[in-house]
Amino acid sequence: MDRRELLKMVAAATGGAVIGGEFFLTGCKNPEAGKTKEFTADDIAFFDEVAETIFPKTSTPGAKEAKVGQFMTVMINDCYTEENQQAFRDGQEAINAACKKMHGHSFMKASPEERKAVLVSLDPEVKEHRTKKEEFDKIQGDLEKKAQANGDTNFIKKTMPDHYFRMMKQLTILGYFTSKEGRTGATRYEPVPGKYIGDLDYKKGDKVFTNLN
Amino acid sequence: MEEQYDAIVVGSGISGGWAAMELCKKGLKTIVLERGRQVEHIKDYPTTNLAPWELLHRNRNTNKIKKDQHIQVRGFCNEANSHFFVNDKEHPYVQKKPYDWIRGYHVGGRSLMWGRQCYRWSDLDFEANARDGHGIDWPIRYKDIAPWYSYVEQFAGISGSKEGLPQLPDGDFLPPMEMNALETHVSESIKQKFTDGRRMIIGRVANLTRGWNGRGPCQYRNLCDRGCPFGGYFSSNSATLPVAASTGNLTLRPHSIVMEVMYDKEKKRAKGVRIIDENTKESIEYFAKIIFLNASTLGSTSILLNSVSDVFPNGMGNSSDQLGRNLMDHHYHVGAGGRYDGLKDKVIHGRRPNGIYVARFRNIDEKTKRSDYLRGFGYQGGASRGMSLNGDGIGSELKEKTTEPGDWSFWLGSWGEQLPHPDNRVTLSKTEKDKWGLPQLEIDCEWKENEIAMRKDMMNSAAEMLESGGIKDIYTFNDEKAYPGLCIHEMGTARMGKDPKTSVLNEWNQLHEVKNVFNTDGACMTSSACQNPSITYMALTARAADFAVNELRKGNL
Repeated sequence: MDRRELLKMVAAATGGAVIGGEFFLTGCKNPEAGKTKEFTADDIAFFDEVAETIFPKTSTPGAKEAKVGQFMTVMINDCYTEENQQAFRDGQEAINAACKKMHGHSFMKASPEERKAVLVSLDPEVKEHRTKKEEFDKIQGDLEKKAQANGDTNFIKKTMPDHYFRMMKQLTILGYFTSKEGRTGATRYEPVPGKYIGDLDYKKGDKVFTNLN
Repeated sequence: MEEQYDAIVVGSGISGGWAAMELCKKGLKTIVLERGRQVEHIKDYPTTNLAPWELLHRNRNTNKIKKDQHIQVRGFCNEANSHFFVNDKEHPYVQKKPYDWIRGYHVGGRSLMWGRQCYRWSDLDFEANARDGHGIDWPIRYKDIAPWYSYVEQFAGISGSKEGLPQLPDGDFLPPMEMNALETHVSESIKQKFTDGRRMIIGRVANLTRGWNGRGPCQYRNLCDRGCPFGGYFSSNSATLPVAASTGNLTLRPHSIVMEVMYDKEKKRAKGVRIIDENTKESIEYFAKIIFLNASTLGSTSILLNSVSDVFPNGMGNSSDQLGRNLMDHHYHVGAGGRYDGLKDKVIHGRRPNGIYVARFRNIDEKTKRSDYLRGFGYQGGASRGMSLNGDGIGSELKEKTTEPGDWSFWLGSWGEQLPHPDNRVTLSKTEKDKWGLPQLEIDCEWKENEIAMRKDMMNSAAEMLESGGIKDIYTFNDEKAYPGLCIHEMGTARMGKDPKTSVLNEWNQLHEVKNVFNTDGACMTSSACQNPSITYMALTARAADFAVNELRKGNL
């Protein structure tokens, strides 16, 4: 159940549907993908601030403390397709450009409030992109089916990269709740529960159990 | 040097472990030949105690895993258990049609990563082929296997509830795990609203709800597929192999790829097996009075197909031409899910490695007969309440929302029976070989009309049951790319039967034509039913081992 829960969470976080999502994380679009280039310490600091803006320090640790910036770069390099790696990298520039347009300076120079305003402005864009991508994938899927029916073995399905901010948000949520700081600080973490209680009383304010492993 | 034993067991997975334990306990000097590496209980579970943050990729698949294990990742392979799944590049096979062959080549095999669901079959299943004419009749009935189900359940430790359902016989169970609040509610609703007798029950699972035979109990971590340091579930490594070793009769040889079973034409018996060492590629012969093939469905059949001689030019015991035919799996990745508005004052504590089960309710009698397909399906799934699903927005509001429990949700997936069909088959490639020079397996298998028709009902009935329980925003799914093999319940290809002309094995899992060769893994299955099959392999293995030793003592083998 753990993977499903996580999938629902990350899908919902970016306005996605759960349908078909069961197999999303193990999907294998481009097994040949390699590393485009190394991320620098500055890059990691940048992604830390993006993550911190998405999940700031409150009464519980923030995403920066949970080293989500570093986590994002490891995941992008090791687990994402080449085109998504590129989209993610281009996103860094896009965020800076949006920030300059909105506030007159780069994202790293912006205040927390300014950063938040920039990222909030990206949310509708992510939704739009998602709709476009769904249409694109559907058309490609239909073409693939047609090719298969016609016995055309040379057909290769075209893909469309995800929106960079969707990846950043997903990775922030995943990275935060699988980090020591996020898991033990913001949720009730029990490595060895010892028993199962299927109807434990809950009142508002109680910390959530993360049932993901 | 002549390597002589009383018995050879090929494979150390769920059925090989049982064969080894039973034969060793009965005093036979037994060698277990495992094609992969050693995996010792606890010692060789490197990820079992890792916290989420101790896995570099937090248990997601890396591009390297996706590349090296491109078939395995279609199943349940992830960062924390990928060392228990084969490297697909090193173990190629030919897919005439898409087939996902999910494998674990090491001591314990897939008993380390299995789903652990254990359901007895009933005569509804053992009589199915005879009733509708697909495949041949099973040579056994429920009464033949029932005492052996009890025997293996009592050792393995299966938790479950007694329900009195004729199509899903009760067993010798440890106390059941508990349903959670929403499961209890939906289960009650189904009982009240459906008149066809369908029941949602707690899953029957090989996780120990109390200490059992020196193992367990289960700690509700839900990390079973990494190997359990508490011995909380049944595996060859935690249960059968240690008992086999304790008799002093066991020799376990890892890295031993069995190439063929050797035949003695004079005695009309197998005399032993020839292996190739996985690492040194040295060829070695082992001799024994009886041979148990437990190399997994397709592994055992490959060995028999490759065991050719003047007497058996098409594979040992294959005069019927049935060896390799009637490959089956269960079809799944079809069902429904949704969310629930109530029970806001309840949450779940612990990670139960088990869900609910809905026993088959179609085509079980005249009243439930369908015109659109034969046989039936069951459901697994369950309810959970995790973190909030609404991820809109940015900042402290998002964080706060996400760290509150979200709605309860319910997920129901269906597992359906596949009819035996002679054209769903495996053969040995005439051109492609693996790195040990053995012919690659060619797999030619597909879902046919009956399965495809059944899936519509599997999907719609899931939605209907959830709806009856007040589940909202119901979505349905029917994944066309869930190819045969993906369910990892591969069965058939050396079926049991009464008639040597139409079957490979007899009612005691002996090759009709070579009486001292036994096969008790999934290859022997004559039909697939819709229940998870492992407990049936265990029972058939214990039964066949008992028979084999009696025959040996009587001088018949």
